[in-house]
Amino acid sequence: MVAALTLAGVEHRRGDRTVLRVDRLGVERGERLAVLGPNGAGKTTMLRLLAGLEPPTQGRVLIGDLDPASLPAQDRVRLRRQVGYVTQHATLLAGTTVARNVELPLAWRGVPRAQRRDRALHCLAAFGVAHLARRKAQFLSGGEAQRVSLARALAPGPAILLLDEPAASLDPASRASFLADVERVLGDRATTLVHVSHRPDEALRLADRVAVLVEGHLRQVATPLEVIASPGDATVARLVGYENVLDVVVDERGDVRVGDSVVLRGCAATPGPAVLAAWAAGLELGPEPADGPAFRVDRVRPGQGRWQVELRGAAPLTAHLPWATAPPGVGDAVSVSAGASAVVIAQGTSPPSLVALAQGR
Amino acid sequence: MSDPVLEVLARSALVSGSATAVALLIGLPVGTWVALGRARSRRATVALVNTGLAVPTVVVGLVVALLLWRSGPLGHLDLIYTLRGMVIAQVLIATPLIIAITVASLSLLPAELPDQLLALGAHRWQMVGRLWLEARLPLLVAAMAGFGHALSEVGAATIVGGNIHGQTQVMTTAIVEGVRRGDFRSGLTYAGVLLALAFVVNATLASVQQRGASWSRP
Repeated sequence: MVAALTLAGVEHRRGDRTVLRVDRLGVERGERLAVLGPNGAGKTTMLRLLAGLEPPTQGRVLIGDLDPASLPAQDRVRLRRQVGYVTQHATLLAGTTVARNVELPLAWRGVPRAQRRDRALHCLAAFGVAHLARRKAQFLSGGEAQRVSLARALAPGPAILLLDEPAASLDPASRASFLADVERVLGDRATTLVHVSHRPDEALRLADRVAVLVEGHLRQVATPLEVIASPGDATVARLVGYENVLDVVVDERGDVRVGDSVVLRGCAATPGPAVLAAWAAGLELGPEPADGPAFRVDRVRPGQGRWQVELRGAAPLTAHLPWATAPPGVGDAVSVSAGASAVVIAQGTSPPSLVALAQGR
Repeated sequence: MSDPVLEVLARSALVSGSATAVALLIGLPVGTWVALGRARSRRATVALVNTGLAVPTVVVGLVVALLLWRSGPLGHLDLIYTLRGMVIAQVLIATPLIIAITVASLSLLPAELPDQLLALGAHRWQMVGRLWLEARLPLLVAAMAGFGHALSEVGAATIVGGNIHGQTQVMTTAIVEGVRRGDFRSGLTYAGVLLALAFVVNATLASVQQRGASWSRP
Protein backbone atom coordinates (compact mmCIF):
# COMPACT_ATOMS: atom_id res chain seq x y z
CA MET A 1 0.00 0.00 0.00
CA VAL A 2 1.23 3.49 -0.82
CA ALA A 3 2.15 5.53 2.27
CA ALA A 4 0.15 8.69 2.92
CA LEU A 5 3.34 10.71 3.24
CA THR A 6 6.93 9.88 2.36
CA LEU A 7 10.22 11.69 2.74
CA ALA A 8 12.89 10.02 0.62
CA GLY A 9 16.51 11.17 0.56
CA VAL A 10 15.46 14.60 1.73
CA GLU A 11 18.02 17.25 2.48
CA HIS A 12 16.88 20.81 3.04
CA ARG A 13 19.20 23.78 3.37
CA ARG A 14 18.74 27.37 4.45
CA GLY A 15 21.66 29.25 3.02
CA ASP A 16 24.72 27.15 3.78
CA ARG A 17 23.10 25.34 6.71
CA THR A 18 21.48 21.94 6.38
CA VAL A 19 18.35 22.13 8.53
CA LEU A 20 16.87 18.72 7.72
CA ARG A 21 18.26 15.44 6.46
CA VAL A 22 16.01 12.39 6.36
CA ASP A 23 17.00 9.26 4.47
CA ARG A 24 13.54 7.77 4.55
CA LEU A 25 10.40 8.26 6.59
CA GLY A 26 6.95 7.03 5.63
CA VAL A 27 3.64 7.68 7.32
CA GLU A 28 0.98 5.06 6.64
CA ARG A 29 -2.63 5.97 5.92
CA GLY A 30 -4.49 6.53 9.17
CA GLU A 31 -1.28 6.44 11.20
CA ARG A 32 -0.49 9.05 13.84
CA LEU A 33 3.12 10.05 13.85
CA ALA A 34 4.51 12.40 16.48
CA VAL A 35 7.71 14.25 15.67
CA LEU A 36 9.47 15.00 18.92
CA GLY A 37 12.44 17.30 19.07
CA PRO A 38 13.88 20.37 20.79
CA ASN A 39 13.44 23.87 19.40
CA GLY A 40 15.38 24.33 16.17
CA ALA A 41 15.48 20.60 15.41
CA GLY A 42 13.83 21.05 11.99
CA LYS A 43 10.32 19.98 12.99
CA THR A 44 8.50 22.90 11.40
CA THR A 45 10.65 22.59 8.29
CA MET A 46 9.61 18.96 8.01
CA LEU A 47 5.95 19.90 8.28
CA ARG A 48 6.30 22.66 5.68
CA LEU A 49 7.84 20.16 3.28
CA LEU A 50 5.07 17.64 4.01
CA ALA A 51 2.44 20.34 3.48
CA GLY A 52 3.92 21.07 0.06
CA LEU A 53 4.60 24.68 1.01
CA GLU A 54 8.17 24.47 -0.19
CA PRO A 55 10.15 21.81 -2.06
CA PRO A 56 13.17 20.19 -0.42
CA THR A 57 16.60 21.29 -1.63
CA GLN A 58 17.27 17.63 -2.47
CA GLY A 59 15.20 14.48 -2.43
CA ARG A 60 11.49 13.90 -2.70
CA VAL A 61 8.48 14.49 -0.51
CA LEU A 62 5.48 12.49 -1.63
CA ILE A 63 1.84 13.01 -0.76
CA GLY A 64 0.44 9.60 -1.61
CA ASP A 65 2.54 8.73 -4.64
CA LEU A 66 2.72 12.27 -5.99
CA ASP A 67 5.53 14.78 -5.60
CA PRO A 68 4.02 18.29 -5.39
CA ALA A 69 7.27 19.82 -6.65
CA SER A 70 6.91 17.98 -9.96
CA LEU A 71 3.31 19.05 -10.60
CA PRO A 72 1.92 22.07 -12.43
CA ALA A 73 0.57 24.82 -10.13
CA GLN A 74 -3.09 23.80 -10.49
CA ASP A 75 -2.42 20.17 -9.65
CA ARG A 76 -0.12 21.17 -6.81
CA VAL A 77 -2.92 23.16 -5.20
CA ARG A 78 -5.31 20.22 -5.71
CA LEU A 79 -2.82 17.90 -4.01
CA ARG A 80 -2.16 20.35 -1.20
CA ARG A 81 -5.89 20.43 -0.51
CA GLN A 82 -5.66 16.85 0.76
CA VAL A 83 -3.51 18.15 3.61
CA GLY A 84 -4.65 20.27 6.55
CA TYR A 85 -1.98 22.26 8.34
CA VAL A 86 -2.29 24.04 11.68
CA THR A 87 0.53 26.40 12.54
CA GLN A 88 1.97 26.98 15.99
CA HIS A 89 0.16 30.29 16.42
CA ALA A 90 -3.46 30.38 15.30
CA THR A 91 -3.28 32.51 12.17
CA LEU A 92 -6.89 33.43 11.76
CA LEU A 93 -8.10 36.28 9.59
CA ALA A 94 -8.42 38.79 12.41
CA GLY A 95 -10.92 41.12 10.75
CA THR A 96 -13.25 38.30 9.76
CA THR A 97 -15.80 36.38 11.79
CA VAL A 98 -14.98 32.95 13.15
CA ALA A 99 -17.59 31.33 10.87
CA ARG A 100 -16.14 33.03 7.78
CA ASN A 101 -12.68 31.86 8.78
CA VAL A 102 -13.86 28.26 8.84
CA GLU A 103 -15.88 28.66 5.63
CA LEU A 104 -12.92 30.05 3.70
CA PRO A 105 -11.20 26.76 2.74
CA LEU A 106 -14.61 25.37 1.80
CA ALA A 107 -15.25 28.35 -0.48
CA TRP A 108 -11.90 27.78 -2.17
CA ARG A 109 -12.97 24.20 -2.83
CA GLY A 110 -16.21 25.31 -4.43
CA VAL A 111 -18.55 24.10 -1.67
CA PRO A 112 -21.96 25.83 -2.09
CA ARG A 113 -22.62 28.69 0.32
CA ALA A 114 -25.50 26.97 2.15
CA GLN A 115 -23.43 23.87 2.90
CA ARG A 116 -20.42 25.94 3.92
CA ARG A 117 -22.15 27.50 6.91
CA ASP A 118 -23.54 24.14 8.09
CA ARG A 119 -20.16 22.42 7.85
CA ALA A 120 -18.39 25.33 9.55
CA LEU A 121 -20.83 25.28 12.46
CA HIS A 122 -20.56 21.50 12.72
CA CYS A 123 -16.76 21.67 12.94
CA LEU A 124 -16.86 24.55 15.41
CA ALA A 125 -19.34 22.59 17.53
CA ALA A 126 -16.98 19.60 17.57
CA PHE A 127 -14.44 21.81 19.35
CA GLY A 128 -17.07 23.46 21.57
CA VAL A 129 -16.72 26.91 19.99
CA ALA A 130 -19.87 27.14 17.84
CA HIS A 131 -21.13 29.95 20.08
CA LEU A 132 -18.22 32.10 18.82
CA ALA A 133 -19.24 31.78 15.16
CA ARG A 134 -20.26 35.42 14.76
CA ARG A 135 -17.41 36.91 16.75
CA LYS A 136 -14.44 38.60 15.07
CA ALA A 137 -11.42 36.31 15.21
CA GLN A 138 -9.22 39.02 16.71
CA PHE A 139 -11.19 38.91 19.95
CA LEU A 140 -10.65 35.22 20.70
CA SER A 141 -8.47 33.90 23.52
CA GLY A 142 -5.45 31.76 22.63
CA GLY A 143 -7.28 28.51 23.35
CA GLU A 144 -10.38 29.57 21.41
CA ALA A 145 -8.29 30.69 18.45
CA GLN A 146 -6.46 27.36 18.30
CA ARG A 147 -9.74 25.46 18.43
CA VAL A 148 -11.09 27.58 15.57
CA SER A 149 -7.85 27.10 13.67
CA LEU A 150 -8.13 23.34 14.02
CA ALA A 151 -11.84 23.38 13.11
CA ARG A 152 -10.90 25.37 9.99
CA ALA A 153 -8.23 22.87 9.00
CA LEU A 154 -10.62 19.93 9.49
CA ALA A 155 -13.66 21.54 7.83
CA PRO A 156 -12.73 20.40 4.30
CA GLY A 157 -12.16 16.85 5.61
CA PRO A 158 -8.46 16.51 4.76
CA ALA A 159 -7.02 13.01 4.47
CA ILE A 160 -3.88 14.21 6.24
CA LEU A 161 -3.54 16.63 9.13
CA LEU A 162 -0.29 18.32 10.14
CA LEU A 163 -0.15 19.97 13.56
CA ASP A 164 2.75 22.24 14.42
CA GLU A 165 2.76 22.44 18.22
CA PRO A 166 -0.75 23.86 18.27
CA ALA A 167 -0.85 23.90 22.07
CA ALA A 168 2.57 25.49 22.56
CA SER A 169 1.27 28.96 23.36
CA LEU A 170 -1.44 27.80 25.77
CA ASP A 171 -1.29 27.69 29.55
CA PRO A 172 -1.18 24.19 31.12
CA ALA A 173 -4.92 24.00 31.86
CA SER A 174 -5.93 25.22 28.38
CA ARG A 175 -3.36 22.89 26.83
CA ALA A 176 -4.74 19.83 28.57
CA SER A 177 -8.31 20.67 27.61
CA PHE A 178 -7.29 21.53 24.02
CA LEU A 179 -5.43 18.24 23.59
CA ALA A 180 -8.36 16.31 25.04
CA ASP A 181 -10.60 17.95 22.41
CA VAL A 182 -8.12 17.13 19.63
CA GLU A 183 -7.93 13.53 20.79
CA ARG A 184 -11.72 13.23 20.96
CA VAL A 185 -12.37 14.81 17.54
CA LEU A 186 -9.63 12.84 15.79
CA GLY A 187 -10.82 9.68 17.49
CA ASP A 188 -13.81 9.61 15.13
CA ARG A 189 -11.74 10.05 11.99
CA ALA A 190 -9.31 8.02 9.93
CA THR A 191 -7.18 11.09 9.33
CA THR A 192 -3.44 10.53 8.95
CA LEU A 193 -1.80 12.74 11.56
CA VAL A 194 1.68 14.19 11.84
CA HIS A 195 2.00 16.08 15.09
CA VAL A 196 5.08 18.04 16.01
CA SER A 197 6.01 18.88 19.58
CA HIS A 198 8.93 19.45 21.89
CA ARG A 199 6.84 18.18 24.81
CA PRO A 200 7.01 14.40 25.28
CA ASP A 201 3.62 14.23 27.01
CA GLU A 202 1.92 15.87 24.00
CA ALA A 203 3.86 13.93 21.40
CA LEU A 204 3.33 10.54 23.02
CA ARG A 205 -0.34 11.17 23.76
CA LEU A 206 -1.40 11.46 20.11
CA ALA A 207 1.02 9.00 18.54
CA ASP A 208 1.09 5.48 17.15
CA ARG A 209 4.74 6.08 16.37
CA VAL A 210 7.29 8.67 17.43
CA ALA A 211 10.08 10.11 15.30
CA VAL A 212 12.72 11.85 17.40
CA LEU A 213 14.34 14.67 15.46
CA VAL A 214 17.52 16.36 16.70
CA GLU A 215 19.55 18.92 14.74
CA GLY A 216 17.76 17.97 11.54
CA HIS A 217 18.44 14.23 11.86
CA LEU A 218 16.14 11.41 12.91
CA ARG A 219 17.59 9.83 16.04
CA GLN A 220 14.94 7.19 16.61
CA VAL A 221 11.66 6.12 15.06
CA ALA A 222 9.67 3.72 17.24
CA THR A 223 6.44 3.24 19.14
CA PRO A 224 5.89 5.49 22.16
CA LEU A 225 6.56 2.57 24.49
CA GLU A 226 9.83 1.69 22.78
CA VAL A 227 11.04 5.28 22.83
CA ILE A 228 10.29 5.56 26.54
CA ALA A 229 11.60 2.14 27.56
CA SER A 230 14.58 2.07 25.20
CA PRO A 231 15.68 5.56 24.22
CA GLY A 232 18.25 5.40 21.45
CA ASP A 233 20.75 7.76 23.04
CA ALA A 234 21.21 10.30 25.80
CA THR A 235 19.56 13.10 23.82
CA VAL A 236 16.49 10.98 23.12
CA ALA A 237 16.37 9.99 26.79
CA ARG A 238 16.39 13.66 27.85
CA LEU A 239 13.72 14.48 25.23
CA VAL A 240 11.33 11.80 26.42
CA GLY A 241 11.65 13.18 29.91
CA TYR A 242 14.24 11.17 31.87
CA GLU A 243 15.28 13.57 34.63
CA ASN A 244 18.63 11.83 35.23
CA VAL A 245 20.83 11.17 32.23
CA LEU A 246 24.38 10.49 33.38
CA ASP A 247 27.72 9.35 32.04
CA VAL A 248 28.45 6.07 33.81
CA VAL A 249 30.87 3.15 33.60
CA VAL A 250 29.74 -0.48 33.49
CA ASP A 251 32.33 -2.77 35.05
CA GLU A 252 33.03 -6.46 34.36
CA ARG A 253 30.52 -7.56 37.01
CA GLY A 254 27.80 -5.48 35.44
CA ASP A 255 27.85 -2.86 38.18
CA VAL A 256 27.02 0.62 36.93
CA ARG A 257 29.10 3.31 38.57
CA VAL A 258 28.64 7.05 38.73
CA GLY A 259 32.13 8.07 39.73
CA ASP A 260 32.91 5.55 42.49
CA SER A 261 29.29 5.08 43.56
CA VAL A 262 27.49 1.99 42.38
CA VAL A 263 23.94 2.94 41.37
CA LEU A 264 22.90 -0.25 39.59
CA ARG A 265 24.10 -3.81 40.10
CA GLY A 266 24.13 -6.82 37.80
CA CYS A 267 23.38 -4.96 34.58
CA ALA A 268 23.64 -6.97 31.36
CA ALA A 269 25.23 -4.10 29.41
CA THR A 270 28.61 -4.36 27.71
CA PRO A 271 31.40 -3.25 30.08
CA GLY A 272 32.75 0.22 29.41
CA PRO A 273 31.52 3.81 29.31
CA ALA A 274 27.77 4.16 28.99
CA VAL A 275 24.88 6.48 29.67
CA LEU A 276 22.38 5.83 32.42
CA ALA A 277 18.86 7.19 31.99
CA ALA A 278 16.84 7.02 35.18
CA TRP A 279 13.46 8.44 36.10
CA ALA A 280 13.53 10.60 39.20
CA ALA A 281 10.59 8.56 40.51
CA GLY A 282 12.58 5.35 39.88
CA LEU A 283 15.57 6.28 42.08
CA GLU A 284 15.63 4.57 45.43
CA LEU A 285 17.42 6.19 48.37
CA GLY A 286 18.93 4.09 51.12
CA PRO A 287 21.16 4.51 54.14
CA GLU A 288 24.73 5.68 53.73
CA PRO A 289 26.69 2.85 52.07
CA ALA A 290 29.41 1.18 54.11
CA ASP A 291 31.59 0.29 51.15
CA GLY A 292 31.66 3.40 48.98
CA PRO A 293 31.06 7.11 48.66
CA ALA A 294 27.58 8.41 49.35
CA PHE A 295 25.42 11.06 47.73
CA ARG A 296 24.43 13.99 49.93
CA VAL A 297 21.01 15.58 50.01
CA ASP A 298 21.37 19.09 48.68
CA ARG A 299 17.79 20.25 48.65
CA VAL A 300 14.31 18.92 49.46
CA ARG A 301 11.29 20.64 47.94
CA PRO A 302 7.61 19.82 47.96
CA GLY A 303 6.50 19.00 44.40
CA GLN A 304 3.28 17.97 42.71
CA GLY A 305 2.20 15.08 44.93
CA ARG A 306 5.79 14.15 45.74
CA TRP A 307 9.01 15.25 47.38
CA GLN A 308 11.64 16.50 44.98
CA VAL A 309 15.09 15.66 46.34
CA GLU A 310 18.22 17.12 44.76
CA LEU A 311 21.39 15.07 45.41
CA ARG A 312 25.02 15.83 44.85
CA GLY A 313 27.90 13.40 44.59
CA ALA A 314 29.80 12.12 41.60
CA ALA A 315 26.98 13.61 39.51
CA PRO A 316 23.92 15.68 40.37
CA LEU A 317 20.76 13.58 40.64
CA THR A 318 17.08 14.28 41.12
CA ALA A 319 14.87 11.85 43.01
CA HIS A 320 11.11 11.96 43.52
CA LEU A 321 9.81 10.36 46.68
CA PRO A 322 6.18 9.55 47.47
CA TRP A 323 4.39 12.27 49.40
CA ALA A 324 3.65 9.88 52.25
CA THR A 325 7.34 9.07 52.72
CA ALA A 326 9.38 11.09 55.19
CA PRO A 327 12.05 12.76 53.04
CA PRO A 328 15.72 12.76 54.10
CA GLY A 329 17.14 15.88 55.65
CA VAL A 330 19.38 18.31 53.83
CA GLY A 331 23.02 17.21 54.24
CA ASP A 332 22.14 13.57 54.92
CA ALA A 333 24.40 10.96 53.27
CA VAL A 334 22.43 8.39 51.27
CA SER A 335 23.04 5.55 48.85
CA VAL A 336 21.25 5.67 45.50
CA SER A 337 19.94 2.75 43.51
CA ALA A 338 18.74 3.38 39.98
CA GLY A 339 15.85 0.95 40.25
CA ALA A 340 14.21 -1.35 37.76
CA SER A 341 13.04 1.31 35.31
CA ALA A 342 16.52 2.72 34.62
CA VAL A 343 18.04 2.19 31.18
CA VAL A 344 21.72 1.77 30.36
CA ILE A 345 22.66 2.94 26.88
CA ALA A 346 25.99 1.77 25.48
CA GLN A 347 28.29 4.57 24.30
CA GLY A 348 29.83 4.95 20.89
CA THR A 349 26.86 3.65 18.96
CA SER A 350 25.30 6.92 18.05
CA PRO A 351 22.46 7.10 15.52
CA PRO A 352 21.36 6.40 12.92
CA SER A 353 22.04 2.77 13.94
CA LEU A 354 20.22 2.06 17.14
CA VAL A 355 22.28 1.41 20.23
CA ALA A 356 22.36 -1.76 22.23
CA LEU A 357 20.16 -1.47 25.24
CA ALA A 358 20.41 -3.14 28.58
CA GLN A 359 17.49 -2.90 30.93
CA GLY A 360 18.58 -2.54 34.55
CA ARG A 361 17.60 -5.28 36.93
CA MET B 1 -17.37 78.95 -7.16
CA SER B 2 -16.59 80.26 -10.67
CA ASP B 3 -16.50 78.02 -13.71
CA PRO B 4 -12.73 78.35 -14.28
CA VAL B 5 -12.05 77.24 -10.68
CA LEU B 6 -14.39 74.26 -11.07
CA GLU B 7 -12.76 73.39 -14.38
CA VAL B 8 -9.29 73.47 -12.82
CA LEU B 9 -10.56 71.49 -9.84
CA ALA B 10 -12.07 68.85 -12.14
CA ARG B 11 -8.85 68.66 -14.15
CA SER B 12 -6.76 68.28 -11.01
CA ALA B 13 -9.02 65.49 -9.77
CA LEU B 14 -8.93 63.79 -13.18
CA VAL B 15 -5.14 63.92 -13.52
CA SER B 16 -4.37 62.94 -9.94
CA GLY B 17 -7.17 60.36 -9.81
CA SER B 18 -5.94 58.71 -13.01
CA ALA B 19 -2.36 58.82 -11.78
CA THR B 20 -3.40 57.25 -8.47
CA ALA B 21 -5.33 54.49 -10.24
CA VAL B 22 -2.34 53.63 -12.42
CA ALA B 23 0.03 53.92 -9.46
CA LEU B 24 -2.19 51.49 -7.52
CA LEU B 25 -2.13 49.04 -10.42
CA ILE B 26 1.66 49.13 -10.27
CA GLY B 27 2.29 49.77 -6.58
CA LEU B 28 -0.07 47.23 -5.06
CA PRO B 29 1.37 44.16 -6.87
CA VAL B 30 4.94 45.39 -6.55
CA GLY B 31 4.47 46.17 -2.84
CA THR B 32 2.91 42.75 -2.32
CA TRP B 33 5.75 41.06 -4.18
CA VAL B 34 8.26 42.92 -2.03
CA ALA B 35 6.40 42.13 1.21
CA LEU B 36 6.12 38.43 0.42
CA GLY B 37 9.54 38.15 -1.20
CA ARG B 38 12.77 36.81 0.15
CA ALA B 39 14.58 38.95 2.69
CA ARG B 40 17.54 39.85 0.50
CA SER B 41 15.54 41.12 -2.49
CA ARG B 42 13.10 42.80 -0.09
CA ARG B 43 15.82 44.89 1.55
CA ALA B 44 17.18 46.04 -1.81
CA THR B 45 13.75 46.93 -3.18
CA VAL B 46 12.69 48.76 -0.02
CA ALA B 47 15.90 50.81 -0.21
CA LEU B 48 15.11 51.63 -3.84
CA VAL B 49 11.52 52.58 -3.02
CA ASN B 50 12.61 54.78 -0.12
CA THR B 51 15.01 56.54 -2.45
CA GLY B 52 12.08 57.11 -4.79
CA LEU B 53 10.15 58.71 -1.93
CA ALA B 54 12.96 61.18 -1.33
CA VAL B 55 13.26 62.36 -4.95
CA PRO B 56 11.90 65.94 -5.29
CA THR B 57 8.89 66.18 -7.59
CA VAL B 58 10.66 68.78 -9.76
CA VAL B 59 13.37 66.22 -10.46
CA VAL B 60 10.70 63.70 -11.50
CA GLY B 61 9.16 66.42 -13.67
CA LEU B 62 12.51 67.22 -15.24
CA VAL B 63 13.23 63.58 -16.07
CA VAL B 64 9.75 63.01 -17.51
CA ALA B 65 9.99 66.25 -19.51
CA LEU B 66 13.35 65.20 -20.95
CA LEU B 67 11.85 61.86 -21.97
CA LEU B 68 8.71 63.40 -23.47
CA TRP B 69 10.38 66.41 -25.07
CA ARG B 70 9.92 66.58 -28.81
CA SER B 71 13.53 65.59 -29.37
CA GLY B 72 13.53 63.11 -26.46
CA PRO B 73 13.34 59.32 -26.69
CA LEU B 74 9.55 59.37 -26.23
CA GLY B 75 9.00 62.63 -28.11
CA HIS B 76 7.14 60.90 -30.91
CA LEU B 77 4.31 60.15 -28.47
CA ASP B 78 3.57 63.87 -28.35
CA LEU B 79 2.80 63.87 -24.62
CA ILE B 80 4.68 66.94 -23.40
CA TYR B 81 2.31 69.66 -22.11
CA THR B 82 -0.60 67.24 -22.09
CA LEU B 83 -2.70 65.79 -19.31
CA ARG B 84 -1.41 62.32 -20.14
CA GLY B 85 2.15 63.53 -19.72
CA MET B 86 1.19 64.96 -16.31
CA VAL B 87 -0.42 61.65 -15.38
CA ILE B 88 2.84 59.85 -16.22
CA ALA B 89 4.82 62.22 -14.00
CA GLN B 90 2.36 61.87 -11.13
CA VAL B 91 2.36 58.08 -11.45
CA LEU B 92 6.11 58.19 -10.86
CA ILE B 93 5.55 60.41 -7.84
CA ALA B 94 2.72 58.37 -6.26
CA THR B 95 3.95 54.85 -6.97
CA PRO B 96 6.88 54.72 -4.47
CA LEU B 97 4.57 55.97 -1.72
CA ILE B 98 1.95 53.33 -2.52
CA ILE B 99 4.60 50.60 -2.68
CA ALA B 100 6.07 51.69 0.66
CA ILE B 101 2.71 51.74 2.44
CA THR B 102 1.68 48.42 0.85
CA VAL B 103 4.87 46.77 2.08
CA ALA B 104 4.38 48.22 5.56
CA SER B 105 0.70 47.20 5.64
CA LEU B 106 1.29 43.61 4.61
CA SER B 107 4.29 43.31 6.93
CA LEU B 108 1.96 44.05 9.84
CA LEU B 109 -0.03 40.89 9.15
CA PRO B 110 1.10 37.69 10.93
CA ALA B 111 4.18 36.28 9.18
CA GLU B 112 2.63 32.79 9.01
CA LEU B 113 -0.60 34.00 7.35
CA PRO B 114 0.43 33.64 3.67
CA ASP B 115 1.59 30.06 4.19
CA GLN B 116 -1.44 29.26 6.31
CA LEU B 117 -3.74 30.47 3.52
CA LEU B 118 -1.86 28.40 0.94
CA ALA B 119 -2.07 25.41 3.28
CA LEU B 120 -5.83 25.93 3.53
CA GLY B 121 -6.02 25.35 -0.20
CA ALA B 122 -5.75 28.84 -1.69
CA HIS B 123 -4.25 29.48 -5.08
CA ARG B 124 -1.56 32.12 -4.95
CA TRP B 125 -3.90 34.81 -6.29
CA GLN B 126 -6.56 33.86 -3.75
CA MET B 127 -3.97 34.15 -1.00
CA VAL B 128 -2.92 37.62 -2.18
CA GLY B 129 -6.54 38.74 -2.49
CA ARG B 130 -7.21 37.61 1.07
CA LEU B 131 -4.14 39.45 2.36
CA TRP B 132 -5.34 42.63 0.65
CA LEU B 133 -8.74 42.22 2.26
CA GLU B 134 -7.13 41.74 5.67
CA ALA B 135 -5.01 44.88 5.15
CA ARG B 136 -7.79 46.85 3.44
CA LEU B 137 -7.71 49.85 5.77
CA PRO B 138 -3.97 50.56 5.55
CA LEU B 139 -4.16 49.90 1.82
CA LEU B 140 -6.89 52.51 1.59
CA VAL B 141 -4.49 54.86 3.35
CA ALA B 142 -1.95 54.03 0.62
CA ALA B 143 -4.44 55.01 -2.09
CA MET B 144 -5.43 58.22 -0.33
CA ALA B 145 -1.84 59.15 0.40
CA GLY B 146 -0.90 58.53 -3.22
CA PHE B 147 -3.78 60.71 -4.38
CA GLY B 148 -2.91 63.46 -1.90
CA HIS B 149 0.73 63.38 -2.91
CA ALA B 150 -0.11 63.62 -6.60
CA LEU B 151 -2.71 66.33 -6.09
CA SER B 152 -0.49 68.58 -4.01
CA GLU B 153 2.71 68.42 -6.03
CA VAL B 154 3.55 71.41 -8.19
CA GLY B 155 7.00 70.82 -9.64
CA ALA B 156 6.24 68.04 -12.09
CA ALA B 157 2.85 69.50 -13.04
CA THR B 158 4.51 72.79 -13.99
CA ILE B 159 7.38 71.28 -15.96
CA VAL B 160 5.49 68.51 -17.75
CA GLY B 161 2.10 70.22 -18.04
CA GLY B 162 3.30 73.74 -18.71
CA ASN B 163 0.34 75.33 -16.84
CA ILE B 164 -1.56 76.01 -20.07
CA HIS B 165 -4.89 77.70 -19.34
CA GLY B 166 -7.87 75.58 -20.26
CA GLN B 167 -5.64 72.60 -21.02
CA THR B 168 -3.10 71.60 -18.41
CA GLN B 169 -3.55 74.05 -15.56
CA VAL B 170 -4.24 72.34 -12.26
CA MET B 171 -4.84 73.65 -8.75
CA THR B 172 -1.24 73.86 -7.65
CA THR B 173 0.05 75.48 -10.83
CA ALA B 174 -2.87 77.92 -10.71
CA ILE B 175 -1.88 78.96 -7.18
CA VAL B 176 1.74 79.51 -8.23
CA GLU B 177 0.62 81.56 -11.21
CA GLY B 178 -1.72 83.67 -9.10
CA VAL B 179 1.06 84.50 -6.63
CA ARG B 180 3.50 85.20 -9.45
CA ARG B 181 1.07 87.70 -10.96
CA GLY B 182 0.39 89.31 -7.58
CA ASP B 183 -3.20 88.04 -7.75
CA PHE B 184 -3.30 86.71 -4.20
CA ARG B 185 -7.08 86.53 -4.22
CA SER B 186 -7.02 84.02 -7.04
CA GLY B 187 -4.21 82.12 -5.34
CA LEU B 188 -6.12 82.03 -2.06
CA THR B 189 -9.28 80.83 -3.81
CA TYR B 190 -7.44 77.89 -5.39
CA ALA B 191 -5.62 77.22 -2.11
CA GLY B 192 -8.95 77.19 -0.26
CA VAL B 193 -10.46 74.75 -2.75
CA LEU B 194 -7.35 72.54 -2.56
CA LEU B 195 -7.52 72.56 1.25
CA ALA B 196 -11.23 71.74 1.12
CA LEU B 197 -10.51 68.86 -1.24
CA ALA B 198 -7.75 67.60 1.07
CA PHE B 199 -10.15 67.86 4.01
CA VAL B 200 -12.87 65.90 2.18
CA VAL B 201 -10.39 63.19 1.24
CA ASN B 202 -9.03 62.91 4.78
CA ALA B 203 -12.47 63.08 6.41
CA THR B 204 -13.65 60.25 4.14
CA LEU B 205 -10.58 58.25 5.02
CA ALA B 206 -11.04 58.84 8.74
CA SER B 207 -14.69 57.86 8.47
CA VAL B 208 -13.87 54.62 6.70
CA GLN B 209 -11.18 53.84 9.26
CA GLN B 210 -13.59 54.52 12.11
CA ARG B 211 -16.20 52.28 10.55
CA GLY B 212 -13.55 49.62 10.15
CA ALA B 213 -12.65 50.01 13.82
CA SER B 214 -16.27 49.81 14.96
CA TRP B 215 -16.92 46.73 12.80
CA SER B 216 -14.02 45.05 14.51
CA ARG B 217 -15.58 45.38 17.97
CA PRO B 218 -17.05 42.14 19.27
